[in-house]
Amino acid sequence: MKAIIDSLNLLLPVFYLITFGFYFYDFMKTGKRFANSKRLFLFLTLLIHFCYLLFRTIYFDHPPITNVFEIFTVLAFAVGFSYYILELVTDIRGTGPFIIIISIFFQLISTSFIPDVFQVKEVLRNHLLGVHVFSALTGYSAFAISCVYGFLYLILYKQIKLNKFGLIFDRLPSLDVLERLSFISAIIGFFLLSIAIFIGIIWLPKAFPKFSYVDPKLIGTFLVWLLYGFGILSKVVGKWQGKKVVVFSILGFVIAILSTIMSNFLAQSFHSFY
Amino acid sequence: MNIIAISINHNTAPVEVREAVYLNNEEIKNLTHSIKNSFFSEGLIVTTCNRTEIYGIPANQNLSHQEIQNALLNFKSVTGLKPEHFQYFSSANAIKHLFSVATGIDSLLIGDNQIFKQVKDSFQTAEDLNFTGFLMKRIFDSAVKAGRRAISETGISEGAVTVSYAAVQLIEKIFSNLSKKSALVIGAGETGEIAAKHLRERGIGNLTITNRTYERAEKLAENLSAKILPFGNFKDSLHEFDIVLSATSSDSLILTKADVHAAMKKRNYNSLVLMDIAIPRDIDPEAKSIDYVFYNDIDSLNIIVQQNLTKRKEEIPKVEKIIEEELNSFLSWFNSLEVAPTIKNLRDYFEAIRLEEVEKNKNRFSSEDQEKLEIITKRIINKILHHPTVELKKYTESGANSDEAAQKVSIVRELFGMIKDDEKEDEREK
Repeated sequence: MKAIIDSLNLLLPVFYLITFGFYFYDFMKTGKRFANSKRLFLFLTLLIHFCYLLFRTIYFDHPPITNVFEIFTVLAFAVGFSYYILELVTDIRGTGPFIIIISIFFQLISTSFIPDVFQVKEVLRNHLLGVHVFSALTGYSAFAISCVYGFLYLILYKQIKLNKFGLIFDRLPSLDVLERLSFISAIIGFFLLSIAIFIGIIWLPKAFPKFSYVDPKLIGTFLVWLLYGFGILSKVVGKWQGKKVVVFSILGFVIAILSTIMSNFLAQSFHSFY
Repeated sequence: MNIIAISINHNTAPVEVREAVYLNNEEIKNLTHSIKNSFFSEGLIVTTCNRTEIYGIPANQNLSHQEIQNALLNFKSVTGLKPEHFQYFSSANAIKHLFSVATGIDSLLIGDNQIFKQVKDSFQTAEDLNFTGFLMKRIFDSAVKAGRRAISETGISEGAVTVSYAAVQLIEKIFSNLSKKSALVIGAGETGEIAAKHLRERGIGNLTITNRTYERAEKLAENLSAKILPFGNFKDSLHEFDIVLSATSSDSLILTKADVHAAMKKRNYNSLVLMDIAIPRDIDPEAKSIDYVFYNDIDSLNIIVQQNLTKRKEEIPKVEKIIEEELNSFLSWFNSLEVAPTIKNLRDYFEAIRLEEVEKNKNRFSSEDQEKLEIITKRIINKILHHPTVELKKYTESGANSDEAAQKVSIVRELFGMIKDDEKEDEREK
């Protein structure tokens, strides 16, 4: 099994690059030639990636969340998977290159440096922790996608305002659609983060003797959750729309990243493993 | 092959000449009756605002382009028409020209979809008047196939190439679903009317027209199932619209930045698209500095039009390739009509000679040798005919030039004294 894991580790960046190639070609050209095959190829890439994560979990006897490079491969998968679900739900296939490139970035780093770790803290072998971390990471990936669509919205908004009708104008979907994609991604992220928080609240006090409700990571995550919850509610009740929604999405993601960095690396937490 | 065509189009004649030569339905009917049988055994008349063209299979082998031209001019007297206003086409070139017209690469507005429909309508008219036959139907089928392929396999018809359509294209880059949006068209003149029609075609949810002359607005609103807003107080309702398209002939601004600003406040800064397609402009361009206001005038819309026209021009070689393929396919079919019977006649001719000679001389051979004689003579005939048969078949397989094919077929027929069935009938009648 080790040989398969090593081969998949090397093949994954290649698969993501080929998928990116299909999406990029369609973006630059007509957008029709690989309309179906690119989606199929993304699905295959994600399936292979899923198998890779499963094999690692079985072979090393712990979910792949015990070090930064394992987290990176999970993030690469989570970003690709969130985009795939979004594409299926909305049937908008033209924005793939902007998202898949994030997966390529994380997977390349992971492939280059991922260690084979057999000995880990006992708590990291727990499968409930695996679900907790996976849902949190997929949630943050959805926020990242929401942020990318927010950026694309702002670029297109600016181009239309300045009467620049180039490639971006030609290939991107309408402002309405970009706003919707950004918003749906934020909802998916919020939902997954809610699951992560729910599991955390039930399971963490049992798993960690030093558990504290005033832990900086918990507070940071809860604040991010509140922020997105407030933004989503404001949009739903009709107060926010257009640029305000996407700026919120971008700011939300920046705050989420800052909060993660601060709570992971700057503050002492029972919740830090690496 | 024997097909000839004449054409007056935007490449050869000014608009006033094209307009003068244009034929309405009644005129097409009358002209068809006058040229059918006397000039053509079958044919087709295509007439649009940019071209008038007559295609046909001559009833008489000596029919010249000049005679068709004269027939058209006798039918429709046009002053200022010169010989250089006509284009003449014969044989495969005539078919190629029809394919170019059907695919839109010969149009004034490259890739114009309208012409494809107009060619189809022209053929339907010709069919209704019994002017089409076996050959014209096949030519038409190939033209339609070329047209369809050009639309589906290339980008020749993609993108807006008129200002009013570019405005709609731009609106669709802002709003994804027009059925939930409201639009106000200011001005019920020709430009306003076209823009309003485009919006209706794209499924705008709510369309309202306002015009200085109320009756004109009323007429357009009736045609497009739109509402009417009195011109005097339309500004009071400006905030109710997501799209405002202005196309009046007013000398001064109709909407100032302050008007737009007031409307935006009332609509809680929901996106507003302002399309000013009037010259001089109707809406203060400064309005574009307001957040969520998307303002475009003729100049900015022309950028889109020019970009799309350039893209369409880049697609012409792809369309020409399709035309070439369809032309070859048609010609190989057409050549097979001539070549296959000729090969058969040639073989029959040689077989008859062989049989005659074998019959005459078989008594000179023993009964054992007679069988050998049969085999040897058949083999000789096959060897003699092998090369000519292969050469003739090439014309049906490659779709090569039909004139060349017809020439070779005619030489073979002449050399071996083969006469076509219809010629045989003529001789019998004599």
